[in-house]
Amino acid sequence: MLKPDRSALDYTRLVKQARQLPVHGRPLKLALLGDVSTQHLAPVLRALFSTNGFDAEILEAGYDTVAQETLDPASALHSFRPDVIVVLQAGQRLAGAYAEASGDRTAFPRTHADAIEATWQALRRRGTALIIQGNFVLPAERPFGHYGLKVEDTLQHAVMELNRELALRARRLPGVSILDLDFLAGWIGRRHFLDEKWWVLAKSLCAVELLPEVAQGIVDIALAAQGQAVKAVVLDLDGTLWGGVVGDDGLEGIGLGELDDGGVFRSFQLFLRELSRRGVILAVCSKNDEVLARRVFREHPGMVLREADIAVFVANWDDKATNLRRIRDRLNLGFEAMVFLDDHPFERNLARTLPGLIVPELPDDPARYVRTLSELNLFETASHSALDSHRVGLQRAAEARQEDRAGFASLDDYLRSLATTAVVARFTAATLPRIVQLIQRSNQFNLTTRRYTEAECALLAERKDAGAPFTVSLADRHGEIGLVCVVVLRPAGAELEIESLLMSCRVLQRGVEQLAMNHIFARARAAGHGRVVGHYLPTPKNGLVRDFYARFGFALDRRTAESETWSLGVEAYEPRAVFIRELPAADAPPTLAAPP
Amino acid sequence: MTNDAIHARLTLVFREVFDQPGLEISPATTAQDVAGWDSLTHINLIVAVEKAFGVSFTTKEVRTLGQVGDLVRLIAARTP
Repeated sequence: MLKPDRSALDYTRLVKQARQLPVHGRPLKLALLGDVSTQHLAPVLRALFSTNGFDAEILEAGYDTVAQETLDPASALHSFRPDVIVVLQAGQRLAGAYAEASGDRTAFPRTHADAIEATWQALRRRGTALIIQGNFVLPAERPFGHYGLKVEDTLQHAVMELNRELALRARRLPGVSILDLDFLAGWIGRRHFLDEKWWVLAKSLCAVELLPEVAQGIVDIALAAQGQAVKAVVLDLDGTLWGGVVGDDGLEGIGLGELDDGGVFRSFQLFLRELSRRGVILAVCSKNDEVLARRVFREHPGMVLREADIAVFVANWDDKATNLRRIRDRLNLGFEAMVFLDDHPFERNLARTLPGLIVPELPDDPARYVRTLSELNLFETASHSALDSHRVGLQRAAEARQEDRAGFASLDDYLRSLATTAVVARFTAATLPRIVQLIQRSNQFNLTTRRYTEAECALLAERKDAGAPFTVSLADRHGEIGLVCVVVLRPAGAELEIESLLMSCRVLQRGVEQLAMNHIFARARAAGHGRVVGHYLPTPKNGLVRDFYARFGFALDRRTAESETWSLGVEAYEPRAVFIRELPAADAPPTLAAPP
Repeated sequence: MTNDAIHARLTLVFREVFDQPGLEISPATTAQDVAGWDSLTHINLIVAVEKAFGVSFTTKEVRTLGQVGDLVRLIAARTP
């Protein structure tokens, strides 16, 4: 996971570190393309990937060979088969091209964006690697001064337009991310970031000592695409969400609203609410009287966050390590997907004993909480779906289901009472972001843990007939649950192979996997396949589905240390009973016969 | 800063950049004398020296710096 420590970004130290990296780590192939020199960037990248558990193999395409590498099918780039392609282009080159352009230059940004987009398209035709495109840093030269913003024919204006064009185009093309160099440069200070000396001497994108900042941005994006993202933020209350101690100062006495530094905590809470709207789950872990703590959320006019924004609320006098474990279990997440924020150094150090949990140092001044978290870029993501924005609501509905469950004599009674409905549909443009997200994030109920990229999913969506991938979306009387299951199939002669099958852990024991399996076999039968073949690739996290195929009556054909292959004849499969009513889908998968 | 003090700190920087803990340098030392001092690591050296002494060299200086002695003189001229 991301290392919550900015001081690790020292150029000289990283270069030294890169000389003797440990050889273990998840393999990752990354290609560097651009009209800048990448020889000083590459070692820094390898060191930072290593810090994050990846063994990065880096292909440095020759200086200024973007077009050749992209268009030549026999190029080193294409035979390298990268997972990630980074394209970096220098503002200095752009400035040169702009200066040389003659006539009306108002079309310059669009023409330039067209060329860059054409590169993406060409790369996309050759593979499914994640493309990370650096944008352009606002230049220092301003021949018109401030007035330049009112003049269309200026480099300043052209760079701003070009960056906007790139962002718009990246939104349309799956699998393209923008590395926001202009933000990085602005944050660090453009006069430090842009360094003519290092451009002239080494064709370096920026001041050499700041290359680690650029590299960290690349690592953040690549890791998020690999599914390493923060899913939940756990918050302390006293001193973290408000000033003072509610148990001592009382509801009226805490620093919130007009009182003391209330404005500071308001800004912090607004930031947290934005995270929540983006789909990051918020939870509370506080040493407090629960009734009193909840009263602040309910009654204090200075609170931005309300009880409805908090998915799990734990306020008691147990130690925080115990409480954090409880919260992890309730959220069904791993610690590495959780951030814990607490103003108290003792609690932070205690929390750091929990392996994987991300516990950033918080500054003494709460006014700097937002800045500190932003600097760490803890919340990088590779996808965003409409479902995210009401994730907390979904989590709370899930809690309601849990509470409900206690009242029923048997699981069957309970499941029947939920009146669950399902829609089975093919991959569509509308559901693609959520599909990608589920593929990136599911660890436990995931048979093969294949992390298809957005571009790969778009390709899978084109598979026809029995091989068409499908999704299952659920709703019940508590409300919408959303898209929770993804199945990727591959017809292989007489067999239909389950390439990937994964499910959100929010819907364990609801019959979703039985429903999906019924569909798979109905499909195999309709397309004339005699057998269905499935694989189980064990990981440290997917022990939950170790017996998945055995439970459906599959026989084990082969077992190695890395994988198991199971199969079952179509005639031998008995469709499972499920307490789910299936609704017709507008985007039903093709050639799907009704289950027998 | 005295030349001796500069020389001492510069030695530490050289050892760090070229990853040679026992490395000794003299005013006459050039790239030929230090294993691994090439055009690529020259950039790393300059970045580390600029940071260690809080100075900045011009483009031409970076390009033409040949001997450790030149480096010491430039630093001496720019540090109080």
